Amino acid sequence: MALSGIQIYKLLPQTNCKECGFPTCLAFAMKLAAKQVELSACPYVSEESKAQLAESAAPPIRLVTLKSDGYEVKAGNEVVLFRHEKTFYNKPGLFVKIDDLQSPEEIKDAIAKADAYQVNYVGIGLGVDGFAVEAASGEAGKFGAAVQAVRSASKRPLILVGSDAAVLEAGLKVLTGETVMIYAADANNWEAMTHLAKQHKAVLAVSAPDVESMAALTEKVKEKGVEDLALAVDGGNLSKMLALSTQIRRLALKKNFRPLGYPTIVFPKNPEAAAQAIVKYAGFIVLDHFAPELVYPLLVLRQNIYTDPQKPIQVQPGVYEINNPQPNSPVLVTTNFSITYFSVANEVEGSGLPAWLTVCDAEGMSVLTAWAAGKFDAERIAKAIKTFSVADKVERKRVVLPGHVAVLSGELEEELPGWEIRVGPREAVDLPKFMKEAL
Amino acid sequence: MAEHLVYFDALTEPVRVPTGTLLAEAARMAGLEIGQPCGGQGRCGRCTVQVLEGNVRRRSTLRLSAEDVAQGFALACQTVVEGDCRVSIPPQEKIERRLTTDRTVSEITVPPGYNYELDQTIHRVHLSLSPPSLEDQTDDLSRLLTALKQQAGFTSVSTPLPILRKLGEALRAGDWNVTAILDVHDLFDGRYIEERLVDLLPGRVPQEEPIWGAAIDIGTTTVTVWLVNLLTGQVEAQASEYNGQIARGEDVISRIVYASKNGGAAEMRNLVLDTINQLLATVCQRYNVRKKDWESKASPEQIVKATIAGNSTMMHLFLGIPASSIRLSPYITAVNHVPLLSGQEVGLNINPLGIVDCLPGVASYVGSDITAGVLASGMDDTNRLTLFMDVGTNGEIVLGSNDWLVACACSAGPAFEGAGVYCGMRATRGAIEEVWINGETYEPTYRVIGGGKPSGICGSGLISLLAEMFMTGVIDKAGNLNTQLGINRIREGEYGLEYVIAWGEETQTGKDITITHVDIDNLLRAKGAIYAGYSVLADSVGVPLEMIEQMLIGGSFGKYINVEKAIQIGLLPDMPWEKFQFLGNTSVRGAYYALLDHRARARIKEIATRMTYIELSADNSFYEAFMSALFLPHTDLNRFPSIAQALKSPASAG
Amino acid sequence: MPVEIPKDKWPGSVRKVTLGATTAEGGTRGKTVTVGGESSLPFLHFESETPCRPAVAIEIRDRRPDDWSPLLIETWEEVIDDPAKWAKAAEEAGADLIQLTLSLTDKNGNPNTPEAAVANVKAVLAATSLPLIVFGPGQAEMDNALIVPVAEAAKGERLLLGICEDKNYRTIVATAMANGHLVNARTPMDVNLAKQLNILISDMGLPTDRIIMDPTTGALGYGIEYGFSVMERLRLAALQGDAMTQSPMLVTPGFEAWKTKESKVGDGVPEAWGDWLKRAIHWETLTAMTLLESGADILVLRHPESVRRVKAAIEELMTPA
Repeated sequence: MALSGIQIYKLLPQTNCKECGFPTCLAFAMKLAAKQVELSACPYVSEESKAQLAESAAPPIRLVTLKSDGYEVKAGNEVVLFRHEKTFYNKPGLFVKIDDLQSPEEIKDAIAKADAYQVNYVGIGLGVDGFAVEAASGEAGKFGAAVQAVRSASKRPLILVGSDAAVLEAGLKVLTGETVMIYAADANNWEAMTHLAKQHKAVLAVSAPDVESMAALTEKVKEKGVEDLALAVDGGNLSKMLALSTQIRRLALKKNFRPLGYPTIVFPKNPEAAAQAIVKYAGFIVLDHFAPELVYPLLVLRQNIYTDPQKPIQVQPGVYEINNPQPNSPVLVTTNFSITYFSVANEVEGSGLPAWLTVCDAEGMSVLTAWAAGKFDAERIAKAIKTFSVADKVERKRVVLPGHVAVLSGELEEELPGWEIRVGPREAVDLPKFMKEAL
Repeated sequence: MAEHLVYFDALTEPVRVPTGTLLAEAARMAGLEIGQPCGGQGRCGRCTVQVLEGNVRRRSTLRLSAEDVAQGFALACQTVVEGDCRVSIPPQEKIERRLTTDRTVSEITVPPGYNYELDQTIHRVHLSLSPPSLEDQTDDLSRLLTALKQQAGFTSVSTPLPILRKLGEALRAGDWNVTAILDVHDLFDGRYIEERLVDLLPGRVPQEEPIWGAAIDIGTTTVTVWLVNLLTGQVEAQASEYNGQIARGEDVISRIVYASKNGGAAEMRNLVLDTINQLLATVCQRYNVRKKDWESKASPEQIVKATIAGNSTMMHLFLGIPASSIRLSPYITAVNHVPLLSGQEVGLNINPLGIVDCLPGVASYVGSDITAGVLASGMDDTNRLTLFMDVGTNGEIVLGSNDWLVACACSAGPAFEGAGVYCGMRATRGAIEEVWINGETYEPTYRVIGGGKPSGICGSGLISLLAEMFMTGVIDKAGNLNTQLGINRIREGEYGLEYVIAWGEETQTGKDITITHVDIDNLLRAKGAIYAGYSVLADSVGVPLEMIEQMLIGGSFGKYINVEKAIQIGLLPDMPWEKFQFLGNTSVRGAYYALLDHRARARIKEIATRMTYIELSADNSFYEAFMSALFLPHTDLNRFPSIAQALKSPASAG
Repeated sequence: MPVEIPKDKWPGSVRKVTLGATTAEGGTRGKTVTVGGESSLPFLHFESETPCRPAVAIEIRDRRPDDWSPLLIETWEEVIDDPAKWAKAAEEAGADLIQLTLSLTDKNGNPNTPEAAVANVKAVLAATSLPLIVFGPGQAEMDNALIVPVAEAAKGERLLLGICEDKNYRTIVATAMANGHLVNARTPMDVNLAKQLNILISDMGLPTDRIIMDPTTGALGYGIEYGFSVMERLRLAALQGDAMTQSPMLVTPGFEAWKTKESKVGDGVPEAWGDWLKRAIHWETLTAMTLLESGADILVLRHPESVRRVKAAIEELMTPA
């Protein structure tokens, strides 16, 4: 169980010595509770307290990392069932599967294309995380060659898929100095697979039809010395996958049930199943083919669900066109705090009146907060108007300031010569009336 | 119909009334006025009388405890005569103190055991110097220092230039008898004692002559000055006024922004200095009017020590220290612990060498108003888990006990001080301080401070008004005025929808006193910010609100706060009323304690050192809590079970 | 290894709300649609039964929507100028409900009128046997002007009426109360605001089983995570017994997804976005899918292919493993 700030405070020396860098022991305790600082920063904490605090800090879902030359894919370490409770931390790795029935050349071409794929979402470059190679041929030689082909076309982490340890070994031999995932150990092959995983320091996926047998299997594998595991959530029916994923996550978090305290791996059969895997707890997701029009929305969904809800959500600064604005439509200005943006955009949209809504980068703060913190001043507004070339879009240069920052109008006039500065209402809800009557 | 005799103890003759007459009516017939601010609806409890003997029937005992009833108390508006009886009408003051809902400001009393000799840093000593002669060619200063050492035990006295300038004349005018005023401060935790000569007066000033000090609170909205006789510890006069800086912005951020512009800093400093200096003159004048003939007059120049509490921005602006970094991340002040200064340096019209002691704060948004407030509340010295809130323009909130203290600040705006509200005013004469609204006619009745015609409405009046509007359905839970009631008091005014509290003919100005929908929004925001502030603060340390053992409230809404109504609007949490205590202006009270006792002053420093400041804007939780508190009483009605109950049974809610 | 599956036992559940009224019930619908009734988080059949299937509505307009994506216009081209035909086509495409949005202006740019609104609603009611959702153009005054006569003209049909927002709830709630309809309580992506509006509406006396919550959402890539969490929190609050969050939830992934550049535009976009039509349908479908997982009871969509896919997913999710 995580301890509260006050509970941790009771375990600290309570001398307010400030050597940890915080003004009081309580301030330090609260940072510890929020996991924003290490206990080692306190030079005077007792051994007994250390032990107690360490126990409360152990992650209920093991962090598992796949590694290759220059790449890492992490899963696990999650602490909540719902993202609003804190946040989801490690985005599920998105892998694309290929099998060894194709020729090495075909494989190279396909992998190179997916490997090079990059799409820009709100300034972030997104792409696939790695590849899964399936031993469909059942032949060690073919499989080894396929893995070799994949590795020559991409350096990203790999998952080797098959049920025959001997065949998979041929693939593992090709790969050195990396952490691969082997998929999957089941009731029949687990001993050979575990041996293989141990030998190659690989992550081992464990597959079983229900939580009971899965828990039993992970315990056996762990006894043999393999601790980096992933749980295979079978890609059958959507409701079955949902139930299984939920049960695993709950057991790990609410019951601290170690046998299921591992990230999961899913092979979704269609886009809907992939979306469900993203929102409902998957650690690794393996797509059966690569298509940009699908990979793009999935990457965006993953990005969205894994944003930290504790941080103010920002919208992209820029000029938003509302109700087909014309060169004579007014320019409205607001900040990039999502709630501020949405309330303004919704009101204007609802009014049916056209406008150029210019969203300034105010570091995700609301108008008043940003103004108070110096993130929404005349200089920044002028910079936004200039950066987004608003002057090129309009004939009539008039810009409407939120009423809360009426005080900026004078300075803005100086910053934006030739512009007519108008002060709008304080609240978005009064915008339609203002636009109708005053503009 | 049977008739009965009612004897009122204030009158010699009884009044004869028919069976079933209300006591209130009987009193009226007898020529006595019993105040019925709620319009005789049995809701306010302010017409409480005591039936000493005889037969009456109480229709309602709302507002009365079983014990009250046993003692004969009855509501005059709800009690009918059924036989001869004898009735006593208690003075209004007494009634108010009985009301379980009201929390009157705790009285100011000199801290028990105050001992000027032991507690005060200011010392006044009489010295008899041997006159110089042709034989004794010692200079004046050495002569004085020797006397200070030999006659009063001061060994290392510093003497600033102005003292040197007046030295010769003072010694000679008193024929080598002189009264010295010194300030002895323990600096650096006892490693260095500073003895500073503050004034030198010719002759022997009589023992009982007051030594004047001032406790000053510089609020964002209101500035308060107390004139204190350091000899007795007595507060001799008080005065408050809106901070002159208001004209340059209502909140601290606007002030900082204004001050950072050309010449703004000097202007801001002068504005607040003008306000304080004016108040210093006012308190002296108030004392002089009241004093006995044989007592000497007080004047600001005689004030030899002033302690100052205020939020960090106010302190910076008052001292002319640039404040810009306070508002910019990572929100750092120039100084939290200001060294001792003098009246002249600072620009106060007190004795030029008078000590100006600016009390220490914690952070940009937790200044010495709050450390002083904590001292005044005594929460740092109790093992009861205490929540202390200073409901000002910046709502500052402290949670803890003698074990730990956490503090936060939230921007509530000036509404509870009566500013930034269309018809708002400070809690002075002419302010409406309480309002009742009839649940059927939606007609208001109100009570005015000083009893005359109203000229506006103060903080406690606004809390009361908002609660009544809500409980009677004049506004909905989101604060929207209900235009479908069909009453002329709800109308479209210059600033949109509004509710008329007093028609022009009833008011001092001849203009209607109204509350606009913008005012209602401001009040909702103010109370929402404060509720969110303390709930998030409690949450951040994992303490449920129910665990809090006492709630101490500071603020300048008026002379009392009606706890029930403050709960109805969701400003205060729904807790047993006995947990609440209203301390009034805790900032000035803390400054007063620090002015008197150097140990209290040391405690403020200690409080400042061990208080942990929580930045509410660090994540979304404050915003969330604020949004849910922007509703009456709160979006989650489960947090206000008593209000949920009252809303279910409208009779008790009115 | 015996493992005890942790099952949540919730004290509360989502209210059942029925849209539409058959002839026997005072309306003219061929069938009614009931949503809500969940007593667990979405589709957790191991915990409790999910009594009602989430419903899919197709959005139609009272006139050709000029600002819609060409992909949508193309799909509905044959019926797009006739709301009655459009409704029929939507029913054939598998819709459980029809959602008619009244426009601000007619095709000539003149303001919409109560008469036209009533005529269009009547025509749609005659053309389909499905329950109907009617939204005004989203501008307070115009909404009131159009929705009140529509509510009166369709008395007893148990229409779901919108848009009912906190600054503008009284008129529409009053007319829903008087004429036996339901209201769609829309709030901008905030748990507290959603709850507050529900309280304000119930305080007016509208029975709670005639309220649908519309917490709004962003499309995939445009704030969906916000809508997602707001819905999860509302659903959790409902299950915890908070009566004022126990209304079923309606969301409009079709509207949200089709206004994004990804769906709306085919030219001049990055190559990495892939095939336009497939992408646009993924966008709408995955937006809907995400909201379904967070507790949506009614999903308003626009493209028939998305409707087919979302309905298939619902079918699977409603089938216990």
